[in-house]
Parts: sequence; structure tokens; C-alpha cells
Amino acid sequence: MADAAVLPAPIAKKVPGRFWIVPPAALLALLFFYPLVLIVQQAFMDDSGMANVGEFVRVLHARFFLNALINTITISVAATAGCLIVGLVLGLILAFVPFPGSGVIARLIDTFIALPTFLVTLAFTFLYGSAGMLNAGLMEAFSLQAPPVNFLYSTWGVVLAEVTVYSPFVLRPLLAAFSLVDRGQIEAASVLGARPFRIVRQVILPAAVPALIAGGSLCLLLTVNEFGIVLFIGAKGVITLPLLIYSKAIQESAYQVACIIAVINIALSLGLFGLYRFAAGRLGA
Amino acid sequence: MSVPAFTGSNVMDVDAAKIRGAGSNVHFDKVSVAYGAHVVLHPLTLDIAPGEILAMIGPSGSGKTTALRAVAGFVRPASGRIRIGATDVTDLPPYERGLGMVVQNYALFPHMRVEDNVAFGLRAQGADKALIGERVKDSLATVGMSGFAKRYPRELSGGQQQRVAIARALAVRPRVLLLDEPLSALDAQIRRNMVEEIAKLHRDLPGLTILYVTHDQTEALTLADKIAIMRDGRVSSHGPTAELYRRPPNRFTAEFLGRANLLPVTVTEGATGPKGFAKAKLGDALLAGAARGEKPGDKTLLCIRPQHLSLTGDEEHTNRIVGTLKEVHWQGELTHLVLDVDGTPVRVSATRLPVSLPERGSVVPLFFAPGDTSLVPEDARG
Amino acid sequence: MLVWSRPGRIVLWLVFALLFSVLFLAPLAVILLSSLADQWNGVLPSGLTTEHYSDVVQGAAWKAVKASLVTGFLAGAVALVSGTWAALALRIQDATLARVLGVLFFIPSAVPSVSVGLGLLVAFSHPPLLLNGTIAIVMAAHFVLISAFTFGNVSAGLARLSPDFEQVASSLGARPAYRLRHVTLPLLAPYLVAAFGLSFALSMGELGATVMVYPPGWVTLPVSIFSLTDRGDVFAGAALTMVLVAVTLILLLGLERVTGRQARS
Ligand SMILES: Nc1ncnc2c1ncn2[C@@H]1O[C@H](COP(=O)(O)OP(=O)(O)O)[C@@H](O)[C@H]1O
Ligand SMILES: [Mg+2]
Repeated sequence: MADAAVLPAPIAKKVPGRFWIVPPAALLALLFFYPLVLIVQQAFMDDSGMANVGEFVRVLHARFFLNALINTITISVAATAGCLIVGLVLGLILAFVPFPGSGVIARLIDTFIALPTFLVTLAFTFLYGSAGMLNAGLMEAFSLQAPPVNFLYSTWGVVLAEVTVYSPFVLRPLLAAFSLVDRGQIEAASVLGARPFRIVRQVILPAAVPALIAGGSLCLLLTVNEFGIVLFIGAKGVITLPLLIYSKAIQESAYQVACIIAVINIALSLGLFGLYRFAAGRLGA
Repeated sequence: MSVPAFTGSNVMDVDAAKIRGAGSNVHFDKVSVAYGAHVVLHPLTLDIAPGEILAMIGPSGSGKTTALRAVAGFVRPASGRIRIGATDVTDLPPYERGLGMVVQNYALFPHMRVEDNVAFGLRAQGADKALIGERVKDSLATVGMSGFAKRYPRELSGGQQQRVAIARALAVRPRVLLLDEPLSALDAQIRRNMVEEIAKLHRDLPGLTILYVTHDQTEALTLADKIAIMRDGRVSSHGPTAELYRRPPNRFTAEFLGRANLLPVTVTEGATGPKGFAKAKLGDALLAGAARGEKPGDKTLLCIRPQHLSLTGDEEHTNRIVGTLKEVHWQGELTHLVLDVDGTPVRVSATRLPVSLPERGSVVPLFFAPGDTSLVPEDARG
Repeated sequence: MLVWSRPGRIVLWLVFALLFSVLFLAPLAVILLSSLADQWNGVLPSGLTTEHYSDVVQGAAWKAVKASLVTGFLAGAVALVSGTWAALALRIQDATLARVLGVLFFIPSAVPSVSVGLGLLVAFSHPPLLLNGTIAIVMAAHFVLISAFTFGNVSAGLARLSPDFEQVASSLGARPAYRLRHVTLPLLAPYLVAAFGLSFALSMGELGATVMVYPPGWVTLPVSIFSLTDRGDVFAGAALTMVLVAVTLILLLGLERVTGRQARS
């Protein structure tokens, strides 16, 4: 190849790659964002197609809505707190006081993420329901007439079920964070006579804070959106926003009310999603 | 010298000849690169001759990889053109540039056997089966890895993986071979062997143009025909290897390429005599050194390598300075001494020492030959 | 190790055992037990039977297993293709657009599933886009809900893939399509398999959107478990739940073995 003549520069090719994003984006737009827009539209329009916030305001002040909102937030906050405590206790033991087989146990807990949430509720009816093992045992032992344990059909039943289902979501990032804690540092501290509690507070917890924030905000989001557990417990007094959407739309065919509640629920969820992304982003995830 | 891959068959000899002739020059024509507002390569003009090994060395972050990736087509120059042979490749996608590239961590495809890794480029270009088989055999033989064709990369040591990576790049008969810190993931002993292997590879394939990026001056000094020293996105100096080492054009080059003592001197007399030595004063001592056009009164640096300083003088070592002995490190073959000369620490690597080693703190004369020195201007910056 | 004294460790292990049994072990065990229970009026069932399982294999429950499997595979496959496609395509967008689109692809995982179902009902109940009452609307709901997870998994895999592999491939003359087929996708395979496994599992357990949109002839496992237990037929519900758990776990373990083998080879 002779180096004498320099060929003219080829014309710069435009990368056609930009448009490859269109098919999957269009699919999602059609099946998700378009329906989302319609929900919002329905929420703020009356039957004649005119913009109308009257119905929205009415629902906002309705007893059934406020109850559901309060229930949703109470359950979500309580369950998240429970998940954080359970996740932290399990995580600390799994990571720093391991026992034979703890690796298998950790993976077993992790697979709970893949199981349907209502499984736990169903199991709880057998365990703590009015005719469940616990009540039957207590009634037999103390010759009681009525089942003494009744928490399952209350807010607390839902909270306990959600703690079971969602604590693996705290445990997972926590174990990842713990695996990065320098074991040498812990050993050095214990050689210097630091008590375990002090080491946990001063060495381990600071390293775990980002994981706790990320896992906690994910739990908040998932518990606000949880539907199966609440539906399966089916307690009259425990209605949350997702359940309200379902009952308004399917049982009462009140689509506009369902859309209004959905708008509020989605807004709440997206806020929590933003919080989670922010926390996870700071975690470097 | 035997070339395992190219003996015994005429077809292969033709191939070998083709490689010898196939080298192209690489020309950077005012190439600059920026990430946003951050300019990482200032307009760079540089030519690599066909068949030449150019080592680009410099501290981390000085823009070496950026320059190499601009040739490969993975970073777009903000301005300037890059030519390979007669082709302006600036706007060509990487897969149309006809190069071979080897990276620091080998990047062998883990899901392919060694032979499939080596065959990858030819298959991607749609070469026919017979040719692929032949080339894979040749290339593996060239790097001495013929026995490992059926292995997976994870079954090889780091050095072996790097050989396969080189074979993979050679199999496509590249016009230019780009090597980005190819040995820095290997440990010292294997690295030394690999440097020799690459030198031998280039003797076998003398037409192959190689751009060799490294931060290791030993690799550069051993392999390169020419060296370009990068600093802060600019070429600080560029020239034939021995020349750059012996007559560094600036302080940065002197210090980066090998070890150097740089004594601040004042020129008293420009280049004179048959050898063109200038005269310069260091304190009271009058020294002769290889000049680079200095005028009397210029303040400059006298560069002398540690191995050229001696505690004993003879008629060749006509330069003489005195210093206070600060440290002595005996290392078997070599003894490293540190002296203080007028406030400048001076390092000496001596193979022979006087019978009675002077005490620490004593004042010792140092001798060196004017031919071993060079006058080096202080850097404009820093 | 944090706690050196043996009694201290044993106390902690007992705490762990208690939490683990109450929260995770007991529910699984009791579902298993009840799926085999004959009558259960006391602390323990009065007898064991496999009747509930044979009912599953024969009756309408089998249709539910089939509906769930088909939905999971189809929705999972579509989500896998679209998620992988999106993750790959986002890499060649400019950074700001890629970040915005990346968040948009994640949003379906953040909204309550019932509202996804509600949206589909509102959007697709009239011609020309009449999906309500068809199987397609169930597929659509499941696809939307799992798409974010496949997208996320594949994106994470791509982020972990060293750019060197693809760049070396390009420099050797591989065009984008060849590179995708022979380098990128094979290296991503473990993430693709994991993404499919996860989305399949999610689809198998999906309830919220499905109860909103399912047509009469396409009752998935969770929906049919719900209607069984709602009718008071809790033992049959438990048996069906065990089937659901077993199918999910077998699939996940199977896929894990495939990826494990790939990672080793
Ligand atoms: N993708 C990138 N985005 C922004 N800055 C980069 C990028 N790649 C390299 N740089 C910057 O360019 C400079 C030169 O980098 P590089 O060419 O890799 O240096 P070298 O190979 O000499 O160590 C560094 O300051 C580095 O931080
Ligand atoms: Mg570099």
C-alpha cells in the first residue's frame, strides 16, 4: 500500500443506533404510560368529558378514603420498621456470628423474595387464625371458650405478614454491605477489649447505614403497594389504598373513584420510588 | 533465529513476506480529545513509521490510552485527523480500521476456547475456513502457544493469556498493532520474559507497526525504536530511544526515562572543541558537558546518570565534584550511594568501590566523563 | 467473629432460630402440612391425605397451573426480549437521555399492581384496542409488571461487563451485529437467565393486576388460590400454593444450575 496519496476522508456516518430504543419504549408507552395517562384523565374528568375536580375533592374528603390512607401509611411505616429490625438482627448474626449452614439459610431467606406474598398470609391463618394452631393449642391447654389470639385480623396481622415477606429485601443489601466490613478491624477492636455492642455501634452500623436506608425505602415502597396480603387476610377493618382501588373498580364498578384513588396511590409510590433511587444512588447501586 | 510459524511451507513464507511489507505508518495530525470541557489530549502531531515500535510513556492520566484509543476508533477526536497508511481513518468505525489491539487485562472471550479466540477476527470478517485454520496455527505458534488451542482462557496463566491475546491480534494481519500496558498485570519475572518475547516477535515480523503504551520505562527502553513521553495530554519529548536517554531535551524526560542527577549549573562558555562540550560552573567546580546551544550566563541543568558517577577518577573522568556522603546501600552487584552536593542530593550507582569505603558524613570526590553528561534546560512549567 | 464467648453465641443463635422459625420456616411448614391435612380442628391435623393434590391434577386447578405457566413463559419471554433490547439500546443514547429513559423503564416496578390492571382496563376496553376479556390483557399486565426487573437485571449485567471485550471485538473487525451475537449476548447470558427466572417467578405469584383484568377462561394460580380460600376451601388452596411454590423453586433452581454451569465453563 503506497503512502503517497492521502485518500479523502470518508463522509462521517451517522450512527443509526439512536432509534433502536424506539420499539421497547413504544411497547412500554402503549401498555403502561398510555393507560397511566388515561387514569389521570379519568380522575379529573366527569362523564361529559369536561375537566372537573369536584369528584376528586369529594373522594379526598371521604371517610373511606382517609381511613385507607391512614391504614396504608401506618402499615407501611410499621412494617418497614419491623423489616429493618428483623433484617438487622438476622444480618448481624449471619454475617458476624455465623454457624454451620448459615450460608444455606441466608440463601433460603433470599428465595422468599421470589415467592408470592399471599403465601405467608395463608400460612398465618393456619397458625394464628381463630381456628389456627396457636388458638387451638391455647384453648385446649387452658380450656378457653373463645380464641384468645386475635391479632391476625387487625392491622398487626398485616404488619407481621409484611415483615416476613419484605425483610429479605433489607437483608440482601445489608449482607452485601457487611461483607465489605473489614474483619481485621473488628478483630483489632475486640483484641483491644471493645465489647461486641460497641463494635456494632461504632464499626458495623456506620457501614450498614446506606444499605439500611436503601432497603428501608424499598420496603416503604413495596408495603405501600402491597395487595395480596391485605386481600387474603380480608379483615373488614383493614382496607388499604390498593385494596380500595380493587374494590371500587371490580366490586362497585366505580371506575372514576378507583382512578382518583389510583392517582393518589401512584403519586405516593412514585415519591417513595424517588426516595429509594436517591438512597440507592448514594449507596452506589 | 527461527520463526516457528513460518518454516516449512511456501504459502506461509509468502504470508510472512506480506506481513513484512504490510506495515503502515500512523499519523496523528493535530489530534485533540476532550471529555466535555476537559481537554485530555492537546493537539498532537506525531508520526509512527512503518515497522516502527513507538513507545508512548508517561505518568498515569497523561493521555496515553486516550491517544491509543483514538487510533483504534473508540474516542472521537475533537479536532485533527488520524491517518493509517494512505487512509484517513478519523471517521471510520473501529471494525473497518484493520488494527490489532491488546489491552491490559487481556480481555480474552471467556466463553471461547483459545483457538476460537484467535479465530475471532477472521470469522468476524468472513474469512474462509482453510485460511482461518492456517492463521490460527501460525499465530499460536508465533507466540509459542500451539499446545493450548483447546483450552479455555481461565485455564491459562496471566502470561499465557497475554500471549493468546497477542496471537488473536496478529491473526487478522493488522496494519498496526496497538498495545495498551500489555504487561502491567503480570508479575515482574514474567514481565521481563514477555518484554523479550515481544522484542523477538518484532524481529520476526519486522514490518509490523506497533504503538506500545506503557508507564514502565524499562519496557520502553528495551523495545522501542522511538519513544514519545506524554505529560498532561501533550508530548513532552519524542525521539529515538537511545537519543532521548542520552540527551534528554528537558528535565521531565531526564527524570522519567531512567534515573538522573540534575545539577543546577551556570554556563560559562558555549560549545567548543571537537566534541562540542560547553563549560559550566557548579559552585567552584568547572565542569564540561554535552551542549545544546547554551550561551554563557545561561542557568541550566547538568544531567548525569547515577551509573556514570565514580568515586575513583582516571584520565577520562575529567569532571570532578565533591559531596558529603549521606547514605550507603549495598545491594550485592551494585552499591547505591547518596551524596549531598551543594544542597542537591546526588545518587551514585557504583559497581566498583574504593578498597576502604569512606565514612558517612565524610567529604568525597565524584568523577565523571564529559561525554556521559548533557545539559538539560529546566522545564517551562512545574 | 464478633462474639467470642460460647454462651453468648448460643444465645444469639437461639434468637436467630426463633426469628427464622417464626417468620420463615413455620409458614412454609404449615402450608405444606395443611396441603396434606385431612381434617384440622385441633393443634395438629387429625389425619393426612394426598387428596388435595390429586384434585389439583384432575380438576379445574390444573387449568390454573397451565394458565400461570403459559403466562409466565410468554410474558417473561417478551419482557426478556424487550428489557434486553432496551438495556442495549440505551447504551448508544447520549447520557442524559439514557438516564431519563432508564428511570422510565423502572417506573412500572414502582406503581401498585392494581393500578396497572386498572389502567389496562381503562385503556383497552373499547375498540379498536379491545383487549378486555382476552388472554392478551393478562399477558400485557404481567409484561408491564416484570419488564422493569428484566431491564434492571440486564442493565446491571451490562454495567458489569468490561468494555474491553466489545472494543477488542470491534478492533478485530466485528461489526455491531456480529459482536452482539458472538460477544455481548454470550457474556450476558447468566444475567439473561437470572432475569428470566426472576420475572417468571414474579409472574407466577402476581395477583393484584391479574384479579383486575383476568377473563373467565384464564384463571391463574394466585387468583384461583384466592377464590378457593375465599370460599373456605383452605386445604385445596394450600395444596395449590405448594404447587406454585414447587414450580417456582424448581424453575429457579434449574435456571441457577444452567447459569452456574455457564459461569464455570
Ligand atoms: N471516559 C472518560 N471520561 C472522562 N474523562 C476521562 C475518560 N477517560 C479518560 N479520562 C481522563 O483523561 C485523562 C487521560 O486518561 P488516559 O488517557 O487514560 O491516561 P493514561 O492512559 O495516560 O493513564 C485522565 O485525566 C482521565 O481522567
Ligand atoms: Mg492508560
